[in-house]
Amino acid sequence: MSSSEISGVREPQPDPLKEYRFSEDAIAEMEEIATHYPERKAACLPTLWIAQREYGGYLTPPAIQEVADRLGLSFSEVEGVATFYTMYNLRKRGRHHLEVCTCLTCAVLGAYDIVHKLEHELGIHLGGTTSDGEFTLSEAECLDFCGAATVMQVGDKYFTQLTENNVMELIDQLRGSPDYTPAKLADAIVKIHVPLSSQTGGGSSKPEDLLLPAGPML
Amino acid sequence: MSDNRLTQTEPSLNPATADMINIKINGLDVQVPKNENLIESAKRVGVDVPYFCYHPRLSKGDAANCRMCLVEVGMPGPDGTIRMMPKPQAACTMPAAEGMVVQTDTPKIVKDRKGVLEFLLINHPLDCPICDRGGECPLQNNTLFYGPPTSRYIEEKRHYPKAYPISEHVVFDRERCIHCARCTRFTEDISGDAQLGFLKRGADMEVNTFADTEYRSKFSGNVIELCPVGALLSKSYRFKARPWDLHSQKSVCSKCSNGCNIKIDYRQDKIQRINARINEDVNEEWTCDRGKFGHDYVSSDNRLKTPMLKQNGEWMPISWTQAYALLAEKLKAAGSNSAGIGGAHLTNEDNFQFQKLFRKTLGSSNLDSRTDRVHGSETTLLSDRFGYHGMGNSIAQLQSFKSYLIVGSALADELPIIFLRVRKAYRFHGASVVSAISKKDSSSPNVGDFATVEMIYRPGTEIALLNGILNILFNENLLPSNPGVDLKGLQQSVSDWTPAKVEQETGVPAAHISEAAHILAAGTMALIAGKEIREHPHYETVVAALGNLMLATGNPENLNIPERVVNAQGAKDMGILPDLEPGYAPVAQLGKNAHEILESAAKGELQALWIAGEQILNTYHDKSLVRQALDQCPFVIVSELTMTETALLADLVLPAASFAEKDGTFTSCERRIQKIEKVFEISRDIKADWLIFSELAAMIDGSPIPFSAADIFTEIAAAITEYAGISYKSLGDGGVRWRSESSSTNTKIFTAIYTPPAKN
Ligand code: SF4
Ligand code: SF4
Ligand code: FES
Ligand code: FES
Repeated sequence: MSSSEISGVREPQPDPLKEYRFSEDAIAEMEEIATHYPERKAACLPTLWIAQREYGGYLTPPAIQEVADRLGLSFSEVEGVATFYTMYNLRKRGRHHLEVCTCLTCAVLGAYDIVHKLEHELGIHLGGTTSDGEFTLSEAECLDFCGAATVMQVGDKYFTQLTENNVMELIDQLRGSPDYTPAKLADAIVKIHVPLSSQTGGGSSKPEDLLLPAGPML
Repeated sequence: MSDNRLTQTEPSLNPATADMINIKINGLDVQVPKNENLIESAKRVGVDVPYFCYHPRLSKGDAANCRMCLVEVGMPGPDGTIRMMPKPQAACTMPAAEGMVVQTDTPKIVKDRKGVLEFLLINHPLDCPICDRGGECPLQNNTLFYGPPTSRYIEEKRHYPKAYPISEHVVFDRERCIHCARCTRFTEDISGDAQLGFLKRGADMEVNTFADTEYRSKFSGNVIELCPVGALLSKSYRFKARPWDLHSQKSVCSKCSNGCNIKIDYRQDKIQRINARINEDVNEEWTCDRGKFGHDYVSSDNRLKTPMLKQNGEWMPISWTQAYALLAEKLKAAGSNSAGIGGAHLTNEDNFQFQKLFRKTLGSSNLDSRTDRVHGSETTLLSDRFGYHGMGNSIAQLQSFKSYLIVGSALADELPIIFLRVRKAYRFHGASVVSAISKKDSSSPNVGDFATVEMIYRPGTEIALLNGILNILFNENLLPSNPGVDLKGLQQSVSDWTPAKVEQETGVPAAHISEAAHILAAGTMALIAGKEIREHPHYETVVAALGNLMLATGNPENLNIPERVVNAQGAKDMGILPDLEPGYAPVAQLGKNAHEILESAAKGELQALWIAGEQILNTYHDKSLVRQALDQCPFVIVSELTMTETALLADLVLPAASFAEKDGTFTSCERRIQKIEKVFEISRDIKADWLIFSELAAMIDGSPIPFSAADIFTEIAAAITEYAGISYKSLGDGGVRWRSESSSTNTKIFTAIYTPPAKN
């Protein structure tokens, strides 16, 4: 994506190659979602989530092209949407994206202590990814679960009442789990858009797995 | 008038409507169309509302984002007293309503505008001294008139890479962008390539192309003019001049037959840039990139500056006196055994003198301006049958049909402005477009981008396709009940062209043909045929088939087969045709057409051949015939701007004036006669073609030499019925169309027998 750092003279970049990765199930989901709106264009956000899942947790330029082509939009329009919302990943994240809420309540209850602890233990700074690709650490705005602050979101799950002392336990658990959580989050959000009856693609389709453990996602 | 700013205050574009209402602006009563936005209403009383993002030709979708146009608005309450709205309103999106009261210069508004500008300038680099826009910049002007004298911002400004190219022609300085969304809306609403978009948000928001790729558009130059700051810049004009050092001359583009109105901005006898000039009937305020950036040839170093004679294979400069003496001798000797090709790039005045030299002075009718095809008589084509030449519709009309059939045309390339009108019909008036072409056009933008159906047919199978469409129209009873033409024979002749058979023949899926037929029958329809049709080996039959479709669907006036080269229409009007004199009067003795001229030259039968401003080696389909012709003909004259490949094969090359160095008129594809004016002189020894022809004729037979292009135009108006009553002066800035109403009285169905293309 475009860089905002100051550099020398730039030249236009070559066109990204097109690749279509949507599975048949994913296409079925997209078509189902598109029927919910008066215009196909309106299905852009959920379709980007489908893409985020199908392309392994982040939106590459070909992912954006695929969404645009499937919905009949222009590439730049879809890229505009994808870069507007921060929940779409434009770069590969770690296998677990640790999003620590540092908004008011959580901050008061020690969110930054947790952040510093994680930075120290994982050897990365905010925004960074560990060299083994396991964790990416970010700050998040209020996750709307202030009652159980401090809160951290990892993929499709919320972890609450974290402290400096218990957070590393969680990290060990996550290390042990086989999941790739950015894609799980994307899948969970797609599932919210698709009625249970027509849920097909990706991830689990058992209704009990689809309930988010804590906190409304949308 | 509150001021005289350079770029914005124009008269309102909106025509009066039946639904006019009364409002008050700054205490002045004014009648405006209901729901008109208040910026346009304010223009009506000469009140200036400053703005950046508003543009009358762009949609308001993403707009109302600059907040420069704030005004105070009040509405009468039930008791008649005016209640002002508590917050200022954006005039650009506020619709006028009965009794509305608008204040544009209250202390509150003055303060608000200062605030808006202070915000806009926070991140603006204010590098006006090195900005091309400086001096004609809406941001400078609005700041001068409405802005705060100082800024309270002392922090670091946002920084981006300074100007870097985003396309072949456009350089982007992102720091200067004020996020008005004019450029992004242009690519979405007007050119349709939707290549520029907004990425990110808040202070990080930026205009960019998808994934930093190249901005590829045939209309990219327009965003330079639209950008209200110096963020989008012209690569070729960058750092070339300050706007106040430029002279500007009204002119008409010479790059295609649309005839866009332009301003040539020049300095030191060099074109520095070309900007669009508003002509609502032609280009509105757009140009294509070929027109905007394609005129550097005028000031090229390669321009011929003296006549050149080839002797023993060597080129030598000679004087005009020597050139004329030689020409007079050779042409007098050749007499009627001479021929002229070209004229589509010359003015009407050039052409008129061209044909006079040949017809009157030399007694030869071997003249042809049509070099991209070989066909029979012009009159047997459209004009005899439908009562018009080239286009049944005007360019402006082409934005208001329900459906379009674009056949064999890469329209955005061939006729960019007509493309924009069709795109406008689609974008703003809900028209449906059917495109039929033999080779998919994948350049950006193109008609296929928005066509409902795109039919890619096997080359040469156009008639089969048209028959297939007609077959469906008949079988499904989609035609108007009273076409005023007897269609029985036509119905009969297409009856065995079933969709299945047509699919087999053309390669277009039957379902597409059916969808196309339904679209084309759904209301008023216009047809635009392009290069593939004009260069079709069975041109006349295909035109007949197109005509049949138009007659059957009740649209005989809407068949358009526009000329493509700048003055191809005018050259024909002026009688650069083997069989027709100026005004399409039949000649007494038939001359040879371009093909026959070349053939007889190749056989060594022709004594002198004049090629006037035509790179025939590139334009004619049979290159070896051209080479042979130029080789075998004992005396070949080429009048040209530079030593083209064609000129290299000549014996004598004459330095001719470009469109920027002479006066005259062009007749566009919609038969609009428009003036070009002399901008500068590059060399005394470069002559306008009309002058060359006239001086030569004077030497041979003493014909009088006209004083000016205007004189010749007077002569033209007297000679050609269609131009009668039009004077050089009456052409004004916007030109005049000849035979602007098409007068189709045709009720005859033509025979269009299908010849399958040769299989290879
Ligand atoms: S680049 Fe120019 S036209 Fe485009 S949004 Fe920025 S200021 Fe407006
Ligand atoms: S559309 Fe034709 S006339 Fe207009 S600018 Fe382009 S080349 Fe020139
Ligand atoms: S402040 Fe952390 S969830 Fe609300
Ligand atoms: S002109 Fe009205 S908000 Fe920009």
